[in-house]
Amino acid sequence: MSEAGLLRMRLNGHPVVAPCEPARILLDLLRDDLHLTGTKRGCDLGTCGCCTVLVDGRPTLSCLTLARLADGHDVTTIEGISPPQGLSPVQRAFVESGATQCGFCTPGFIVTATALLRDHPHPSRAEIERAIAGNLCRCTGYTKIVEAIATAAKDGA
Amino acid sequence: MHLDPFALHRPTSVDETVRLAGSLAGRFDYLAGGTDLLPNYKMHLNLRPNLIALEDVGELRGHGAGRFGAMERLAELDDDPAIRAEYPVLADAVGEVATPLVRASGTVGGNLLVETRCFFFNQSYFWRESLGFCLKADGDRCHVVPQKEKCYATFSGDLAPALMALDAEVEVAGPAGRSRRPLEALYDAAGDGIRRVHLAPGELLVAVHVPAASRGLHGRYKKLRVRPSYDFPELGVAVAGRWDGDRVASLRLAVGGVEPHPRRFDALTEPLVGSALSDDRLRALADEVMRQLRPVHNTFLLPDYRKRMIGVYVRRAVDEARRGSAS
Repeated sequence: MSEAGLLRMRLNGHPVVAPCEPARILLDLLRDDLHLTGTKRGCDLGTCGCCTVLVDGRPTLSCLTLARLADGHDVTTIEGISPPQGLSPVQRAFVESGATQCGFCTPGFIVTATALLRDHPHPSRAEIERAIAGNLCRCTGYTKIVEAIATAAKDGA
Repeated sequence: MHLDPFALHRPTSVDETVRLAGSLAGRFDYLAGGTDLLPNYKMHLNLRPNLIALEDVGELRGHGAGRFGAMERLAELDDDPAIRAEYPVLADAVGEVATPLVRASGTVGGNLLVETRCFFFNQSYFWRESLGFCLKADGDRCHVVPQKEKCYATFSGDLAPALMALDAEVEVAGPAGRSRRPLEALYDAAGDGIRRVHLAPGELLVAVHVPAASRGLHGRYKKLRVRPSYDFPELGVAVAGRWDGDRVASLRLAVGGVEPHPRRFDALTEPLVGSALSDDRLRALADEVMRQLRPVHNTFLLPDYRKRMIGVYVRRAVDEARRGSAS
């Protein structure tokens, strides 16, 4: 790839080609260039987890990732976790458990929880709490978020 | 926050990385996981015109048989039950680094070489400009200990004390080839928060090696911080040892999060080998470690509190390691 070259990746299952400077952050590319605004910009310093996406299935803070390093990789955002119709099991559990208030942190939690349940389909409450330790919510107090993830696990998400 | 422009280099081998680093003559930073470097770049802290991304250098990955690649992600260690079984002090330390999301990208080498931290350094450009820049970035004076010679920024990695307690060595590649040195020799004990490591221009940290004799040592890493789920250490105490009944068969202790470099306390622990560690001797050890370390007022918690906690954490870490040995 040249200095002002083109970035090629699979984004939510589709091949994407986008111009990308070396200093472009993945979060900025997703939100500002590709208009996938489901991924949120919170602290922009890796503290809050609002910007979490999956890179090759690995939960990744997109605010601390150079977009160029996603070249050739598979990136999944909250838009890719939602099925074409309706909601994913984790999303549905969040709705039904009342795990969302202002909703700003929700995409990050959903992405993190989706990866957790993929790798550990039956997590304990302690494992859920540990897995979401990097996602901050300023509204809910976390109880309903943990309950939602436990519900999704029980429902076989 | 956007990053200022830089050239991004992506070598694929250690040799290529070393050649590239030599040609860039100090005008670069290595990019490992990026979880500390990129926040610092966003805050305009000591920007360099080149980044050498180590992502594609396969030799730097992987762990096993006592070797830990510098680019091995912390999450890989966190998820490996063998680490908990063989190196409990290291498992403790890995699990205490920031959050699972940071550990998903953060690396072994990045944590060992993490930038030193200070309340007057880890701030936005606007914040630092309003007060007057400091020695460590853009300025010529220290706001913590007012003078113009020495930076007091604190070493803030969690893995180094744990790996020191395991008697680890680091493997370094440079223009003259490969070499190994004790982990403590990586840090410049005579330096400060700016001159903090012994790595010549162009040298690259390749891996950490833990000797076979350290496998199975009982150990604990105790970390003091404000928010248990996220923060850098305000103090980190690592202990690894072996007990034969009540008798100490081996004991190593290292402390980070207090001074500009982590420190190992062999001179205090070696005399304890061969005899039982009474409560009085443990208290004397803790008091002497506390006496030798000097926190300054450059992090969230007050230095007096951090200093007193050194004694408390040393006692707890040794006691818990000893109890782990008995169980």
